[in-house]
Order: sequence, then structure tokens, then C-alpha cells
Amino acid sequence: MLKKLYLVFGFGVLAFYGVASWFGWELANSGSHSRLGVPFFYSGFRGGK
Amino acid sequence: MSVLQTNCPSCGGQVEFKAGSTIVVVCPFCRSAIARTDRGLEDIGKVAEIVDSESPLKLGLKGTYNGTRFELTGRAQMRHELGGSWDEWYATFSNGWVGWLAEAQGHFYLTFYQPLPAGTMLPTFDGLQLGQNVTEIPSPTPLMVQERGHGTTAAADGEIPYKLTPGEGFAYADLAGKDNAFATIDYSMEPPWVFIGSKVTLDEIGLGDAKPVQREARRTTAASMGCPNCGGPLALVAPDKSERVTCPNCDSLLDVNQGNLTYLHALNPPPNAPDFVAPVGAEGTFPDGNTYKIIGAVVRSVTMEGVQYFWHEYLLYNATIGFRWLVHSDNHWNFVEPINPAEVTSAGMTVSYNGQTFKIFQDAPAVVEYVKGEFYWRVEQGETVRAIDYVAAPLMLSQEISQNEINWSLGKYMTNDEVEKIFGISGLPRPWGVAPNQPFTGRFYYTWGALPLLLLLVVAVFMIPLSGLTKTVLDQQITLPPMQNATTAQAQFSQAFEIKGNNNVRITAAAPVDNSWADLDVDLVNDQNQEVESVNIPVEYYSGVDDGESWSEGGKETDATLSALPAGKYTLRVEGTWQNWQAQMPVTVKVEQGVNRGVNFCCAFLLLLLVPVLGFFRKFSFESARWRDSMFTSSGTTNTGDSGGDDE
Repeated sequence: MLKKLYLVFGFGVLAFYGVASWFGWELANSGSHSRLGVPFFYSGFRGGK
Repeated sequence: MSVLQTNCPSCGGQVEFKAGSTIVVVCPFCRSAIARTDRGLEDIGKVAEIVDSESPLKLGLKGTYNGTRFELTGRAQMRHELGGSWDEWYATFSNGWVGWLAEAQGHFYLTFYQPLPAGTMLPTFDGLQLGQNVTEIPSPTPLMVQERGHGTTAAADGEIPYKLTPGEGFAYADLAGKDNAFATIDYSMEPPWVFIGSKVTLDEIGLGDAKPVQREARRTTAASMGCPNCGGPLALVAPDKSERVTCPNCDSLLDVNQGNLTYLHALNPPPNAPDFVAPVGAEGTFPDGNTYKIIGAVVRSVTMEGVQYFWHEYLLYNATIGFRWLVHSDNHWNFVEPINPAEVTSAGMTVSYNGQTFKIFQDAPAVVEYVKGEFYWRVEQGETVRAIDYVAAPLMLSQEISQNEINWSLGKYMTNDEVEKIFGISGLPRPWGVAPNQPFTGRFYYTWGALPLLLLLVVAVFMIPLSGLTKTVLDQQITLPPMQNATTAQAQFSQAFEIKGNNNVRITAAAPVDNSWADLDVDLVNDQNQEVESVNIPVEYYSGVDDGESWSEGGKETDATLSALPAGKYTLRVEGTWQNWQAQMPVTVKVEQGVNRGVNFCCAFLLLLLVPVLGFFRKFSFESARWRDSMFTSSGTTNTGDSGGDDE
């Protein structure tokens, strides 16, 4: 059971990576108020304005 | 067959020498052994009756070996010097051959007399070493001495192809070779006779339909064969094979001699040994598909550095298969079967068997501490053998060396659940630690579990061209006029440019700062809907020389990356403050798309790497724990006990 769960997780990560690459989603290192694009990715490493 | 009918010189009853090879016939009326000699018939003494056994064979059975038909025409029962007995059946073949079909503990060995070339000198009985190859015997495979011992002719029936003398003792050596090769040297003759053949199954010799005699277990009673010490009743499961039995009522060890019980001594269980967890008498079907009954249980121990370690061995019995063992140690279980010693190849600290390499794990004297039930040998408290264990999880090869015998057995690890299912019980104590041959069950996480990781690499390689290569969509210099004061920012717009959807955006700003800073707020303004995405890009650069060493910090160019934006026409609004506010600030801004920063890949890679790495760590810990209890390390060197053992 645990093995199946892990595979689901693994392939989920893989699928997420593929989708993000396709749509240009990025774990951005900047960006601010998430009025555009995908809010989830706008955490940014340095923060925005 | 040339039948010779005659009368028994002892009782006058009619006896027949059916086979030309028959030397002795046992008179079925008076049990005299009648030998056919040059001078006529000779009565060579009374022969005891065959002890009733559960053998599937009987006189008159017909079989086929290598296309030649045979009939079982005679039988002798031999007693081993250390207790126990075996049967020898004499197979008279249609072409005149005589085969010796030995039956011991459920195994069958068919051998034929093999004259040796003139001048061949076999090793003497005393000169034979256990484990040595007897190269003087012509054989396609080397024959290794497995056992040497003494036997006595105890009983006989039918026609015997040699001059059998009742009660006569003889020395013998059993040899084993690869591919079930088997040989016996009979030292009762001078020079010794050699019999060569192989271990066979009843199916292989056309006797597969022979079934073991089904009988009720003999139940002795106080009136007939009760315990000679306390008079309590006893039940023997394998009365014809048992040499020792313990009384469940008074815990005495009894000798079994053809059904007669003799009190030997009281048994004292060692005070520190754990109790048996499986009852004698329990029955179940094992992974090999056969049903076995626990008929005996033994507590054994080894002593390491002054500490005594105990384990239990349960003797399993099946009338057709013979004996097997179920070993219980630290609440781990192993099903153990005997194997052909000649199939094991030793190479120093490792041995090979059936294409697998086993590493040495333990080499210590194993002592019998306590017994319960019945046993096919004359078991004694204090009985000691040298026991060497080799492991290749889930298998364990064990070698036991006594004075006259070398035995190899193969154990296979069983889980508690499997054992509980076999006996229909529950609540067996859970194992602790790692057993020497316990298989590691987490292999999946660093084998198949690494599949998403590998696929990530493949996907990443394909996604680079698919998601586009880096493309510059704006590269422009914007000059910000001098600030009115140190805090009021200046702003300028860039020219308009096109941004594609589904591509990330990197904005790079360069300013000619030198030991100063410029703080730039850059807005990406969508010309269609005026929506704004803002990033802050601080640019600062400091350098100097300290103690003759030049240094620098920061840079004159900084970038910020955004996720994909909706496609369309955009303009940059660059607003900034800077340290030298009285001067204008030329800023070069560059906007790129399809930048492969690898952040997504790194995050996914680390996420997917986590479980395989943890799997490897678990494997390492597991193997360390396995070898911690060994006298050796996994590489075969002696374990000093300082470390937890090394790993593969």
C-alpha cells in the first residue's frame, strides 16, 4: 500500500513538473502581488515590492 | 530368473532362491538365514524380524531404472552405531544386475557394486577425512566423504545378494557428489567394496505410486509401554525411527529400542532459556507444499564472549518426505532442509550453492541444552557440534560438523505471519533485531521507487526544447533623470514589447553603480488591460582593497524571474532611487523569455530523491544491524565488535 502511495506521489511530482514546464510556471525569485499568472508560484525567494 | 526351491535346513519349510544373484534367503517360517554355498545350503543363524516402519516400499514391488525393470526381492535393516536405523532394499534387475536401494530418513539412494581397476588402493577407514574427495573412485563428479561410521545388520527379509551374517558389524563411508551422485565404501570386505549410484526419488525409479504405510501412532500405556519412570502414557509419531523420546509427564529422557522404553535421566531445562512457542504435535502445510508435524523440539545455544545465546529448533516429520527443521531464533523463523554437501563449493570465507554465494556469518560450537518430544538420533543434553552459518538473505546455509559426519542444510527465512498461518495460530512474539538471513523488504524504494526520478531526467531533457530556448524580447537603456531629493523616486517607461504566453520572464537590470547602490522597482504593465506585475531589483556594487587584498561585493547587474504571464503587449515602467541622487542614472533593462533556470527541476529532483535516499539509508542501517551480531564483517574479516559491521 505504502509503495503504491509513494508511486502515486512520485508520478504526481513528475506530472506537476511537466505541466509547470509546459505552461512556464516558475518558482519565481521575484514577483509581487499575484494579479497575473499563477498565484501559488508567486511566493518568490526574495519577495516583491 | 532361475528359481531354486529347497527346504529350510532348520525347520524344513519351503524356501525359494528366485534370483541367480541371491546368496542368502531368510526362511519365512523360522527366520533362519539360509546361505547357498558350493557345499549346499548352510544355516547361518536366526535373523530378527524387520521392525515395522512407514516405508512406502515392500518386497515384490516392481520398478524401472534407466529403462530396465527390477523387483525388490530382499531387505535388510541396519542399525547405526549412534542410534537410528536404515533399510537396504535389494533390487534384482531383469538383466541380472543387483541394485542396492538404501532408504534413510525419507531419502533413497540406488547404488550398484563397482569393481575398481586392479591396483587401486582406497584410503583406509581410519585414514578417511570428512570432506575429503576420494579420487580413487572413478566417477564423473568428485565424491566427497560425508559420513563415516559403523553399522550392524539387525534384521533381514527375502533374498539377499551377499552373505549376510545376523548381528555382524561393519564399517562404511558415505560419499556424495554433485548432481545427486552417491557412493558407499563397505569396509567389511577386504579390499573394500565400492557401490556407486545416485540419490533418487521414487518417481525416478518407477515407484512413485508407492505410498507410506498409514498407521495410527502407537500409544503406549502405563500397562504396556508407559514411561518407565512415572508410568505416564506416551505417543510416538515415528516409532520405527525414534531413538529418544521425552516423557511429557515427568520430563525424563527415554531411550527407544524397538518399542521398548528405557529411562535414561531427568531433563533440566536451562534457567535462562526462553520457552517453546510452538507445541510438539502441531501440524501444518509448509511452503514446499508438504504437511509436517512437529515431533520434537530442541533448545540449543552458543556462547560468545561469555554470553549464552539460545534458540529453538523444531523437528518436523512427514512419513514420505522425512525430517525437516523449523528454527526459531530471536523470534525469527527459518524452514530448514538438508542438502547435498557435494553441491556446496567453499572459497574461503564464502561458499557457493545453487549459483548463489553465501557469506560466512558465524562459526561456533552449538550445544543441545534441552529436548522435548521424540528424535531420530540419540540426542543428549550437552551434545555439541561445530556449527558454521553462511548467509545470502533470505537463505542461510548451515554446516554442522561432528566427529563422524558433515551435514549441510539450507534455511529459508519465514515471517511470523507465514508461521502463524501454517499452524493456524496467532500472537507469536514479534521478532527483534535483524536475523542473519532476514531479507530487506525496502528494496523497492531505491529500485522501482527511483523510476519517477529517472523519468524526471527524461522529461527534463525533452522539456527544454519543448518549452522554448531563451529569447530576448527587450533590451533597452533607460536613463532616469537626477532625483529631486534623496527620497523621491524617478520613473521612466520602456518601449512596448511582445510577451508570449507559457514562458517565464526574466528581467535583468544593469546600472553603473560603483561603491553605491540603486534600488529599482520595475513594473510590467499589460498594455491591453493595464494590469501590473511588479518586481524589485536592487543593484549594488562595492569594492576596495584591504590589507593589500582587493575585494568586491554585489554586482552591477541583477535579475528577477517571473512565472509566465498572459501573452500580449507590455511596457516596462522603471522607477528607482539611488545613492548619488543628484546624478542621472542610466539603467539597461533586458527582458527574456524561456529561461531555463532549473529551479523547478531541482525542486522536483530533490523531492523525488528523498525516498530513494532514505531507502538506501534504511538498507545501510539494516545491513549494519545484521552484521553487528556476526563474528565476521560482511566482507568476511573477523568482526572486532568496535563497529557495527560494514556494508556492501
